[in-house]
Amino acid sequence: MKNLIEKIGAVVLITGRHIVSVSALLFETIYWILAGPFKKKMPKPEGTFSQMVFAGFDSLIIVSFVAFFTGIVIAMQSAYQLARFGANIYVAPMVSIGIARELGPVLTALVVAGRVGAAIAAELGTMKVTEQIEALETMAFNPVRYLVVPRFLALLIMLPCLTIFADILGILGGFLVGVFQLGLNPHRYITFSFQFMLFKDFWTGIVKSACFGIIISMIGCYMGLNTKGGAEGVGKSTTLSVVTSFILIILFDVILTGVFYFANK
Amino acid sequence: MAVKIEEKNNLTVCYIDGEIDINTSPDIKKAFEKLIAKKVPKIVINLAKVTYVDSSGLATLVEILKNMRTYGGRMRLTNMAHKIKSLFEITKLEKLFEIIEDEAEAITTFI
Amino acid sequence: MDTEKEVIISARNVVKKFGERAVLNGITLDIYRGETFVIMGGSGCGKSTFLRHLIGALKPDSGKVSVLGKDLSGLDEDALDAVKKKIGMCFQSAALFDSMTVGENVSLPLREHTKLDRSVIDIVVKMKLEMVGLRGFEDLMPSQLSGGMRKRVGLARAIVMDPEIIFYDEPTAGLDPIVAGVIDKLILDLSKKLSITSVVVTHDMKSVFSIADRVAMLYEGRVLEVGESDTVKNSKNPMVRQFIAGSPDGPIKFFQQKDDYLEQLIK
Repeated sequence: MKNLIEKIGAVVLITGRHIVSVSALLFETIYWILAGPFKKKMPKPEGTFSQMVFAGFDSLIIVSFVAFFTGIVIAMQSAYQLARFGANIYVAPMVSIGIARELGPVLTALVVAGRVGAAIAAELGTMKVTEQIEALETMAFNPVRYLVVPRFLALLIMLPCLTIFADILGILGGFLVGVFQLGLNPHRYITFSFQFMLFKDFWTGIVKSACFGIIISMIGCYMGLNTKGGAEGVGKSTTLSVVTSFILIILFDVILTGVFYFANK
Repeated sequence: MAVKIEEKNNLTVCYIDGEIDINTSPDIKKAFEKLIAKKVPKIVINLAKVTYVDSSGLATLVEILKNMRTYGGRMRLTNMAHKIKSLFEITKLEKLFEIIEDEAEAITTFI
Repeated sequence: MDTEKEVIISARNVVKKFGERAVLNGITLDIYRGETFVIMGGSGCGKSTFLRHLIGALKPDSGKVSVLGKDLSGLDEDALDAVKKKIGMCFQSAALFDSMTVGENVSLPLREHTKLDRSVIDIVVKMKLEMVGLRGFEDLMPSQLSGGMRKRVGLARAIVMDPEIIFYDEPTAGLDPIVAGVIDKLILDLSKKLSITSVVVTHDMKSVFSIADRVAMLYEGRVLEVGESDTVKNSKNPMVRQFIAGSPDGPIKFFQQKDDYLEQLIK
């Protein structure tokens, strides 16, 4: 029993230390974004641009795939229940609101955490164990400014963009089911989709996705920069970054959904 | 660092004063870009008052020479301190440039 | 030899502990401008840790490290960066950036730290690659190079800003004898021709005495002996003699077990 308490205590302590370190990294990143331009020490914009291409553009296909089929599944699932009440047309707002508020941001974030977050952790982790990070430091480059800032900005900008894209494709998936499977009138479907959807449903989703972008980039960079112990360490950091990002995305989703829900009252 | 440009015997003579290093090289390049834009055919650069040249300084001189050669221009370097001359030798650049001991000699023999 | 030598790096009583374990137990050394100074010692003697202190990557728990006349622990980030721009470092694994070509690797400090034009930077890169014998390799990726070539690219990158001091961490480790000889010759060439101060950390005895002006031997975080290359070579100290000869028997013990082996077997 005592052993168990000790173990729990140790886990809490380690977790606390990690939370402090990740927050410190986040503050340092924001510091460089705000102070960098005044100190004339911003990294060249090409770095951020290539990260945006990698994080955003290259994720388009997988994000579209997931969003489109999720739209189809939600439409069919809700039709299964709504048909009993003869309320088939309400499939439309269920899909659009569900995607925009919840599934668009969360699924996109999970996909990007698996694809981009893991890649960031693996890349920075490899750089760490092969002395490349140290080489940057001895050449008077701050690793946070030079490596973390472009990745942070890229995900902060591209994840909301990807989410908008996912929203559109999810709603399209639902639309196809509604029109071809349930035989609903296309015009009525579209009208119903957006009649019940408030602008708030859309922007809360975007705010969520921006938060998820911060989480994914910070966890990926943190795990990467703190890699120890050769190739095995890189593998560990990569796995850990994906698992941690997943947990944090779900956790923050609950918190943000709660905040938006109760703030409305 | 300062660059002074004079006309002598239909030649353009440039006097560089100070260090040619990472900080001053961009300014030197700018000063010569004006001459290159005018396609000045013959330039003598007097390095008597140059105390130090680093790699970027050497590279800047190479770049100026390269740009002059596009229109058939020629460049001569004169009055180099011993330390700077040995730098040209180490980097194997002494064969690329026309290096003359004395400015007057460089001007009179520049045909 | 000049009678008046300028101290370019000085370490005073440098102590560093990782947790409970003291890695550096008070190192005091002076390195003079223009010389090639070799720090040797067995694995785990603290020589790499000491090198990390000289480049400002680690801070001592107590004691003082001055490089180019500046006390490193008293500097803010900008002032430390200014010192870092005047030193170059060659890493054991070369530490080239995998995502960049050879040319981009070498030119990175110039591209980010200076206002030089692209065309001028390209010429500097060509000059530096020529010095290490790799001109024409600009567009290759690091993964396409052999170990020795990677080290030479790392060297070109280290000297691209015309540093006053170059640090080498195990420059010949893991290379065949010929390539190791080539690297040694490069180190000598650069320090003599460009009169750069070189600080080399190594345990390769062959290269120690072919490049060093002065040598320091570290043992268990302390300076065991320091002096001119020949003096150390003919040292009377049995530990130094054992290390140079590479003999397993001597005052430096490699097997230090507390328990008795046989007792542990039947326990």
